[in-house]
Amino acid sequence: MPSYEALVILRQMPRQEVITTLKRTAEAIFSKGGFIRKLDNLGHRTLPFRVFEHGIIHKTGTAFNITFDSPSKVVFDLNEEYGRDVDIVRSNIFKAEEPVKIKCTLQEELQPPAYRKGVIRMLRIARKGQKEKYPLNTGLNYYPFQK
Amino acid sequence: MFLRTFLRPIIMHQNRREFLRFSSSVAEASSSESTESSIDESDLPVRMENPFRKERVQCVLCKHQISPDYKNVKLLSQFQSPFTGRIYGRHITGLCKKMQRKVEQEIVKAQKSVLMGTVTKDVQFFKDPKLFDPEKPIRPHKY
Ligand SMILES: [Zn+2]
Repeated sequence: MPSYEALVILRQMPRQEVITTLKRTAEAIFSKGGFIRKLDNLGHRTLPFRVFEHGIIHKTGTAFNITFDSPSKVVFDLNEEYGRDVDIVRSNIFKAEEPVKIKCTLQEELQPPAYRKGVIRMLRIARKGQKEKYPLNTGLNYYPFQK
Repeated sequence: MFLRTFLRPIIMHQNRREFLRFSSSVAEASSSESTESSIDESDLPVRMENPFRKERVQCVLCKHQISPDYKNVKLLSQFQSPFTGRIYGRHITGLCKKMQRKVEQEIVKAQKSVLMGTVTKDVQFFKDPKLFDPEKPIRPHKY
């Protein structure tokens, strides 16, 4: 059971209705055999752009982040169910990711082109396609190779 | 003062010549051995790492071990143009390839889930500290 994160934006409505809608979204996960690990309220916010959903233009909304574990085939059903819900403006389900551990390669990237790995590989590929050239100063009065 | 500084080498030189004369007269046979044994070990060159080697360059996010996340809109909007809302390229942000890719992915995720504008930057982030100067890119670009 992999972990997922659902970011749900509910439309602007009274507090009691927000609670019932949130319960509905959570129960959808439970009914499909998943379980919730964490539920965060990201707050009531003005949306960065107007969203046209279910026949209304939404300018504000309340964002919730639900971290849950479920079988992977459930994600499709959840997306479908949340998409039908009139009170949900936008819902997205992403894979829950741990903080990345990247080894910084900026030092190699700031080298001059001749020392960069990608450029060296590119030069090697370019050299591969070229036809081999023979020196013409063989001492013979004809070209010994096929032209 | 002048005399002392300039006469000292000469005096030292004379002393050395006397010393050499003396040593050669006393022990001619063991002269080669004595010079070898008289090498002071502490004066020999020592193997050490290059003290002038520069520190490894790292990008801002790798240096402070920050992992970009789509919920952290305040961080992500620092890589957005205030005029067009577009994501700045690697030649401006100064991030390494992998980090830049990660930042771009997270911004797209945030834009999909209506946390962040696609063609606008949130006004409340306009006065955030600047991580880089778009006017001075690391590599030149055609604009
Ligand atoms: Zn880096």
